[in-house]
Amino acid sequence: MVDLRKGEQHVNDQKYKLTLCDGPTCIHNRSREIRESIESEIEKQGLSGQVSIHLSGCLGMCKKGPILIVNPGYVMYGQVQPEDIPAIIKSHLVEGNPVAGKVIQEDHLYNRFFRIFGDVDFFGKQMRITLRNCGIIDPENIDDYLSVRGYEALAKVLTEMKPTDVVAEVKKSGLRGRGGAGFPTGLKWEFTANQKSDEKYVICNADEGDPGAFMDRSAIEGDPHTVLEGMVIAGYAIGSRKGIIYIRAEYPLAIARLEKAIAAAREHGLLGDNILDSDFSFDIEIRLGAGAFVCGEETALIRSIEGARGMPRPRPPYPSVSGLFGKPTLINNVETWANIPVIVLDGGDWFNAIGTETSKGTKVFALAGKVRNTGLVEVPMGTTLRKIVYDIGGGIPNDKPFKAIQTGGPSGGCLPAEYLDTQIDYESLAKAGSIMGSGGMIVIDEDSCMVSLARFFIEFTQDESCGKCTPCREGTKRMLEILTRITKGNGKEGDIEKLQRLGRMIQKSSLCGLGQSAPNPILSTIKNFREEYEEHIREKKCRAGQCAALLSYVVNDKCVGCGACKRVCPVNAVEGTRKEKHRILEDVCIRCGQCYDACKFDAITKA
Amino acid sequence: MVTPIDIIKKKRAQAVNRIISKGYLSTKRVYVGMATCEIAAGSKEVMAEFRQAIANGLTDVYLSQKGCAGRCNLEPTVEVVEEGKIPVKYGKVTSERAREIIERHLKKGEVITEWLI
Amino acid sequence: MTDKITIHINNKEYQVDLGQTIMQAADKLGFHIPRLCYHPKLSIEGACRVCIVEVEGARNYVASCAFPVSDGMKIHTNTQLLRKARRDIIELILDNHPLDCHTCERDGNCELQRLAASMGIRHRHFEGEKKHYEKDLSSDAVIRDPDKCILCGRCVRMCSEIQQVHNLTQAHRGFNTVVMPAYNMPMGDSVCTACGQCINVCPTAAFLEKNYTQELFEKLNDPDLIKVAQFAPSVRAAIGEAFGLEPGRNMEGELVAALRKLGFDYVFDTQFAADLTIMEEGSEFLERFQNGGTLPMITSCSSAWMKCMEQFYPDLIDNISTCKSPMSMQSAITKSHFANKIDVDPKKILSVAVMCCTAKKYEAARPELEVDGMRSTDIVVTTREAAWMIKSAGIDLLGIEPEEPDHPLGVSSGAGAIFGTTGGVMEAAIRTAYELYTGETLVDIEVAAIRGLKGIKEGKINIDGKEIRVAVAHGLGNACKLLDEVRRDPDKYHFIEIMGCPGGCVGGGGQPYAQVNTIPLDDEALKKRAEALYDLDRAKTIRRSHDNPDVQKLYKEFLHSPLSKVSHKYLHTHYKKKTPVGIVPKTQL
Repeated sequence: MVDLRKGEQHVNDQKYKLTLCDGPTCIHNRSREIRESIESEIEKQGLSGQVSIHLSGCLGMCKKGPILIVNPGYVMYGQVQPEDIPAIIKSHLVEGNPVAGKVIQEDHLYNRFFRIFGDVDFFGKQMRITLRNCGIIDPENIDDYLSVRGYEALAKVLTEMKPTDVVAEVKKSGLRGRGGAGFPTGLKWEFTANQKSDEKYVICNADEGDPGAFMDRSAIEGDPHTVLEGMVIAGYAIGSRKGIIYIRAEYPLAIARLEKAIAAAREHGLLGDNILDSDFSFDIEIRLGAGAFVCGEETALIRSIEGARGMPRPRPPYPSVSGLFGKPTLINNVETWANIPVIVLDGGDWFNAIGTETSKGTKVFALAGKVRNTGLVEVPMGTTLRKIVYDIGGGIPNDKPFKAIQTGGPSGGCLPAEYLDTQIDYESLAKAGSIMGSGGMIVIDEDSCMVSLARFFIEFTQDESCGKCTPCREGTKRMLEILTRITKGNGKEGDIEKLQRLGRMIQKSSLCGLGQSAPNPILSTIKNFREEYEEHIREKKCRAGQCAALLSYVVNDKCVGCGACKRVCPVNAVEGTRKEKHRILEDVCIRCGQCYDACKFDAITKA
Repeated sequence: MVTPIDIIKKKRAQAVNRIISKGYLSTKRVYVGMATCEIAAGSKEVMAEFRQAIANGLTDVYLSQKGCAGRCNLEPTVEVVEEGKIPVKYGKVTSERAREIIERHLKKGEVITEWLI
Repeated sequence: MTDKITIHINNKEYQVDLGQTIMQAADKLGFHIPRLCYHPKLSIEGACRVCIVEVEGARNYVASCAFPVSDGMKIHTNTQLLRKARRDIIELILDNHPLDCHTCERDGNCELQRLAASMGIRHRHFEGEKKHYEKDLSSDAVIRDPDKCILCGRCVRMCSEIQQVHNLTQAHRGFNTVVMPAYNMPMGDSVCTACGQCINVCPTAAFLEKNYTQELFEKLNDPDLIKVAQFAPSVRAAIGEAFGLEPGRNMEGELVAALRKLGFDYVFDTQFAADLTIMEEGSEFLERFQNGGTLPMITSCSSAWMKCMEQFYPDLIDNISTCKSPMSMQSAITKSHFANKIDVDPKKILSVAVMCCTAKKYEAARPELEVDGMRSTDIVVTTREAAWMIKSAGIDLLGIEPEEPDHPLGVSSGAGAIFGTTGGVMEAAIRTAYELYTGETLVDIEVAAIRGLKGIKEGKINIDGKEIRVAVAHGLGNACKLLDEVRRDPDKYHFIEIMGCPGGCVGGGGQPYAQVNTIPLDDEALKKRAEALYDLDRAKTIRRSHDNPDVQKLYKEFLHSPLSKVSHKYLHTHYKKKTPVGIVPKTQL
């Protein structure tokens, strides 16, 4: 196991990992005692040093608790009592035979995921609901989906539930929109269901545009039927016959799989007229977007489907009242849709038990940046940032210090180390000065300049501004100009105040969420890393060494006069005789850094 | 009266049968991750290796694709599930590694531990 | 809706009607919230963010033009923070604006200028790069200057919602956003009908008419030319506004005098040709009606409408009257019969039209309208350009002694006057056609059903026991609606009048800009202009075109009879299907 994890510290010598659910119900059911029992039993049976014990948060399976998971191989034991431990340790760990009577079968949709994943560091602390089938089933084969209780939720609502029951169940679940704003999904369904109209639409927003985010793409590519099933259920609940998936043309594989899934679902009578021989009919079509970021905003998306230029319009009226072609429209994003079948099958109450007071269920994040394990992680709401970065993400490469974490995509905020114990939910993140967004999460270490980072994000948002409203169109441009001059060493006193003044005005006055959130990276970095801005402006210094214009390269006493730097310098900024200490002419130097890379003696310092 | 639930249960049974008839109960099941990210990392070539091996006479193996599991830095991934054994997952699989997994693991039953996730 | 609710504005309690926006409620209560992209006739854009207000409990400021009032709502329109935000928004617009006010055609008449003044912007904080695009000078009528554009989107909405031409749209993103025709086609090649309504609603100078005033001043100083002017009916009803008068003051006599002072040798009245048009068009209609010609017959006076029809409704070409517009008839007669009469080479005649219209600049350049190998109308200037020339030449329009137009093309009937407003052509035609058909005089000559600003108006006239169904549309959007109806049911109407601009010519694209604190194309102003023309009609003793003695004389001396060979040569034209580059006509969609 060493080879793959070169440079990573999580090399485990232990043969087994036991994960014990440490949720309140399991504790009540003696999970603490079980732990003691495990520890003593391991010692007794001579396995010391070969087994590590982990505690997990609530796994949402309280009725089956206490839960003990044995890895590798993912075997989940339920209703474990301290008395069961000796047998489990002996039979499973020593002899390699799981204790059949205690193994939980696939009761819940989501827990299958762990069954085939041995990667406990990464997956063991996650909880996969929306991604429950991703990486498990063949997404291009409807049989695979059917075999894992696919479309059973649809069959259930058509058999046993009235449309109002479905809405009630979604409301009960406490699910909130996963597209960013976190509006209660059940309420949205209810508003749309209550509208009287001959025509209503259901839309899946798959216009994922955040740089570095790919949650929706992965979900569709890994499990397209889940999204379809969620939409059909919604169609039944609100009285719509027509669904549209708006997805960007840059996702050809996801589109191909959706097309295949739609065709297969039609063939099986799961889409089209009289679904599953009921009197409910619903069909779904795909509309491709051309990749404008703003088309992820619901009113712009609707305009785009209508064939107009994708620009947001003021709300109200909300799409639930007047949406696509002026008809009541229910629009949710991919991740939200993927939760629906689970909520229907396992119940709103079950879902509601996961997460925090105000934010229920799980959230998928695209974990990226300076972290060992990058990738998609799905965690229960309420998980701390620290847990994601260090436990799931495996910490920062080379054990560099953590500097900040940026959540919520290009319009999220940057949170410094003191916020690492912030719980992930809509309110806590907002309180900390960031947003949930659609789930981007970028870990930043000391090598990143916060001013450049803010500049990078505002460059993106100003580029993707639709150009409709003044604050976003003109204001983000001016913010970019100010940030650019700061990073180029031309910052002026008062620039920080100008950025704040513009930023607050843009937040308060812009037409849509893109503009309203565009200043977040800047305002949050000013708040948390103001000294970096001041250094750039006053001292013309970039502590991360990222702003090329603020760097100077200096030859130190380690120089042996080999001349390597002199040879690579494209502008002849290095002078010096052989075997003597060289010198870099600062006003000639273009800060390309080639001398720095070429020096074998660490004789050039960035300052 | 036949309810939608009855229909879906029947459909599920038929689906399971179809999967089984495709060889699901083979002693070894091989899953290759095939999402955009995995394909970009080279999983198409890996898949081709396994297909080729089966075409060349490798028996008792059920080969299937699947979506992304989210382990971006270790892609492409290949998972081997053997009846009665602990499932294993290989990371950063290349064509060469795939050939070796075929030779050593699938044919001889040796788990190549250094490539495991 | 009559439901009353309670709202608070700036800490004072008010009872207002439910079902309106904050802006509408505030307007009625005397709070004028600053605004820019808002226009009452267009859809709500919510783009400029100038009309933001603070609503207690709302996370952000809301656009008062879009946000509905609700019971108990507490609104603040003038807090210090809000004022600052608004001020910064206007500054951001200014920062990306040329700021060449002194040399700008809209100087003194620019909404942005007024707003900036009211915000008290004395310093600029955020200056930086400005956008730069080339001016589009390709059209004979409408100039597009994206550098002046502040992206309020009024022109886009006007062009697509009211006119349904859909020529303009925003293109590109963010800071690079620009309003342009599809595929950045030059305006001259695009589907632009040259109606000029974009100019009317533009708060700045991003759209302007192509200005011919310098060329005209030059030609007026050419001693070898015989300078002949004509002016459209609605010019007299609106030009006073450019001199600070209330809308609806008839300035006919003053205008005639001013044009003479500018250097014109003859000042004729386009109303004369309006009467002539009625003679031809009325006869054409009766001809079609009696002899099974293509019906409904549709009027052809409006040049924007002609282009619109050739592009989007070429299947209806046979329905269009072959009559030229009054301007082109007047010019044709000027360069033929009149030249003959005064015994000069028509090439020596400079034929100038003062029009309420920008599309007439386009029309004047149409090759189909040439007379004996010459352009019949040499220069068209709009009401705005004429007003500027009068001011520039130091002529005191308001203090001037009114004068009469010249003979033989200056006398007109009341029917000719009402050409300038929607329904007027139809009303004039009915007056004459009735008499031509029945031989009797129509007593009740005012046709109320087709007056007013309703988009599509219908009427029935009983002529000698036969029912004639007529319809009137103004604004190209209404025209399209009506024409779609004709496509569905070709027998529904016999005779249709269409004017390209809202309100007819009184709302033309060349009329004076809205006065300070009024809205462009305000219905009240349009009504007052129209009323001035109806007053003019009522004041005339001759109210039917066929009673115009100069018209009768013209037929006697030159044209012989309506629809004669000579008439056809000088007063009629033809149309052909137009397909602008890169555009699929509606009919093929």
